[in-house]
Amino acid sequence: MADLESASAIAASGLRVQAARMRIISENMANADSTAVEAGGDPYRRRSLAFKSYVDKELGGEAVKVFGTRSDPTPFKVKFDPANPGAAPDGFVKLPNVDPMIELVDMREAQRAYEANLNMIESTRSMRRSTLELLRR
Amino acid sequence: MAIDPLSASKAYSNAANAARQIMDGAGAPGLAGGSPVQGPSFGDVLNQAIGGVVSTGKKADNAIANAAIGKGDLVDVVTAISAAEMSLETVVAVRDQAISAYQEIMRMPI
Repeated sequence: MADLESASAIAASGLRVQAARMRIISENMANADSTAVEAGGDPYRRRSLAFKSYVDKELGGEAVKVFGTRSDPTPFKVKFDPANPGAAPDGFVKLPNVDPMIELVDMREAQRAYEANLNMIESTRSMRRSTLELLRR
Repeated sequence: MAIDPLSASKAYSNAANAARQIMDGAGAPGLAGGSPVQGPSFGDVLNQAIGGVVSTGKKADNAIANAAIGKGDLVDVVTAISAAEMSLETVVAVRDQAISAYQEIMRMPI
């Protein structure tokens, strides 16, 4: 694969991992209030993911992929809410360790990284196109 | 488009063969007397390039079909389509250039 083609294919791998990151963030946001299903159990635990680079022979360069997801070990907050079905016998219910503010910032970061990769593809394409323009005059 | 690219490329390669026969028949004494140029003819080159366009086009079609049944990824569809578009543009640009060179020769006063 020529350099310009592989540049846009590698940027596309960046788009894919940022999309996966967006999915994890939306899982966290959607479950920000998911308490335990059985009395005294654990609520939803926040998840985060890591990326890693790998050499793609076909693309001819180092692309990026999702390394794996991991649960956040931060302790849960508790709230006194005896009416909640997930509450322990003492009336306290554990809340998920999701902080909406952190998720919001993470989401912005994913969005910016996605846009950066899109711009990469856009510039690559315009370079190829202007090279072809040389033939047209 | 009414003209399909494969038939166009066949027409080009036929034209190239005919031209070569005419050259061989006339002996082409004006052409420095050297051995004829070895290598693939323009028709072959064009045929190969169009084969590449067809295969990238098929990849794009597959990506679209997968996305339509909910299996594919939007990124895959977009990159496949843009790859197909770029390779078609390349072949078209090369073809236009070759044709304009040919027309330039045809306009030459003899």
